[in-house]
Order: sequence, then structure tokens, then C-alpha cells
Amino acid sequence: MTATLPARRYVEHVMGMPISLALRGRHTDDTPAVTAWTAALAELRRADRVFSTYRADSAISRLGRGEITLADCPPQVAEVLALGEAAERDSGGAFAVRRGGVLDPSGVVKGWAAERGATHLAALPGTDFCLSAGGDLTCHTVDPTGPPWRIGIEDPHDPTRLVAVVPVHTGAVATSGTARRGAHILDARTGRPPTGIASVTVIGPSLTAADIDATAAFALGPDAVRWLRSRGHTALVVDADGATTLVQTTPAAPRRA
Amino acid sequence: MKRIASWLLGTVTAVTLLFGYHTSTSGPATASDTVVATPAAPQDTGSSGSGTSGSTSTSSGSTSSGTASTVTGSVASTRWGPVQVSITVTDGKITAVDVPQYPTGNGKDRQINASALPILTKETLSAQSADIDMVSGATVTSEGYVHSLQSALDQASL
Repeated sequence: MTATLPARRYVEHVMGMPISLALRGRHTDDTPAVTAWTAALAELRRADRVFSTYRADSAISRLGRGEITLADCPPQVAEVLALGEAAERDSGGAFAVRRGGVLDPSGVVKGWAAERGATHLAALPGTDFCLSAGGDLTCHTVDPTGPPWRIGIEDPHDPTRLVAVVPVHTGAVATSGTARRGAHILDARTGRPPTGIASVTVIGPSLTAADIDATAAFALGPDAVRWLRSRGHTALVVDADGATTLVQTTPAAPRRA
Repeated sequence: MKRIASWLLGTVTAVTLLFGYHTSTSGPATASDTVVATPAAPQDTGSSGSGTSGSTSTSSGSTSSGTASTVTGSVASTRWGPVQVSITVTDGKITAVDVPQYPTGNGKDRQINASALPILTKETLSAQSADIDMVSGATVTSEGYVHSLQSALDQASL
């Protein structure tokens, strides 16, 4: 049971997914820690209330039905829709928040909401955090030269195994793929699931951007690697046949201790 | 149970638009789809060697009234050895956690220091040999969580 550093862990379920938090350092289980964790969860619940397409009274549902205008919505709605539209443009239409007349920015909301939640954790002085929203996560370490958070990338073909480990001091890791319970991401250009690809993991400074681009790359299927490279991402693509491709535009060899 | 159903709906919400259900089972076999009701023997004792399967903790029946629901996950391999987790959920919160199968092995920690981060280490690693804090994977639902390596990690390092 020897972890690199002992971390205090929390788990709650919001928006139908597990939210896992690890804290280490000055505030891990005292009042400031619990207050920050509660505030992070509140941020996710607030996003769910505004953006849930399963709540008929959510702003996004009412906007989608044309009952209200963008100006009537909380300002976050315009922000999220702008992110979605940018992603649609950047991915040549493979990623979309509006399809078949249905407005649904859920592909943007998860990472965006988690990143907002993480701001409350970042305010904890002297404390490292790693916050995961259903497998997409954002990390911070106070000491940029100290021990990093070590993130395992799940093997899409066997969720009990890993295909890689990413040490992260401060940054985000997001993975999109064929969800193990059978759901899949569709290529919005064709309305069909992409072929030949099992998962895409994007590593970068922003969880919002990493999450969107992991999903967009996955939707692009065979074009994922080329597209991720063109975006300058650090990423890992796992093919349907199990082959892995590392996309790393700023190569730096890991140094072993 | 109703509660769980509503989470699943919530999950669909969270992943929405771009997601659909597929009913095909022709894809790559997923190892942890089945709910294991009894502690199973570890299939993979990993590098830690001491894969004791006998550390079964009895789950006390401290069930909260009403909407409590207990799900037992399959055995997951961690760097500490095999772990099985059983979680009771009441009103959207995990109210009880049992670990029917608990690791006793002490995996040899392996440090990988990186000069510049983030860096992806291009290695294939089995979970039990990797010293990790968190798992990134395709959308994990609340229901799927109990089957996940992340849940094992959360519990094993408590």
C-alpha cells in the first residue's frame, strides 16, 4: 500500500458519472478541503441543471425548443456553444453540438464543467489535486519539480489494464472511445460510429480543450492521428486492432530514476 | 433502483449527442462486464507475487432504508494485487464500501521521472505493475464505476 505520496480520496456521483478526487499536501481532509470539494461538486451540479437535455426545464432544453433565446440563458450557455461551434469547425464537422435539429452540447460540457469545478480545488493553498470526471481529469501540483500525479491510460480492450502512464504535474488528460457499456461516439458527418479506432487520449493544459479534441479525434476515426498532430497535441491513439500510436510534437525522452 | 435508472439517463445526457447505444456484442471482449457475486480467485497474481485470495471481509448489512442499492464489481488487478469492490449507493451517494477481495501484496513501486511534463511513457503496462494515482478512460458511468480500475484504485489506497 505504498503510494508515491499518500493522497486523501473522495468519490461522489454527479451527472451520472463518478467524480473522483485525490488531494495531497496541506489541506486533504480538513474544513478547507471539504469546502473546496463541495464547491467543485456544486459547480458540476449547476452545469447539469443548465445543460441537461434530460431536464425539460434546463436552459439548453428550452433554448433547443425555441422557447427562449441565447440572451435569456445564463452566460455559460453562450460560452459552451461557442466552444462547440469552434470544435465543429476545427474537426471539419465530425464533432457537432447540433444535429438533426437537436441542440446538445454535452460533448463540451463534461470537461468544461470539471475544469470549472477544479478552480475551487486550485484555490487550496499548498495542496496538490487530481480531479477526475468519469475518466477525464485535471491535475495540479504546487511544486512543479515534485512528484507528479501518475495517470494510467485505460486499455480500451481490457479496462483492468493500462496502455500507458502519463506523469502530470499540472495539466489535463481526457480519453474518448468506445465506452465499455456499449455506447459509442458518432461521426456527425455521417451519423455513424467511426471505424478502426478504439480510444483517443489527449494530454494538454486545458481539460476543456483536451476533452473536446479527444472526442473530435475519435469521431474522425482513421484521420485521428493526422488531425491530432496538426493540432500540436500530445496524444495516444489506440486502434481497434490494439495497435497504439503516440502523438508527441515536443518529444522529450522520459528519464528514469 | 429507480435512482440508478435515473443516473443512467443522466449518463446518456452527459455523453449525449455524439453517443448512441449499440447492441452488438461483436466488438472486442470486455473483461469486466459481468457482476461477480462471490469473491473470485485472482486470475493474475501479477508481479507482486503474493496474490492472497483469502482476505475476504464480511460486508455488514448496514443498509440504509429506501433507495439503497448494492453492486459488486468484478475483480480488478491493481499494483497492489487483485481488488474487488462492492458499493452501496443511496440517493446518488456512495454510502458504503466493502472490499470483498483485498490485496496484501506490496507491489514494487516503479518511479518514472519526467524532465518535462506532460510526457506520455510509451510502454504497455499491466495495471498491477503501474504506480498510478488516477485512471483516464472512455466515459465511465456510475454503474460501470464499480467494475473499473478507478474504483479499485480509490478503495485500495484509502
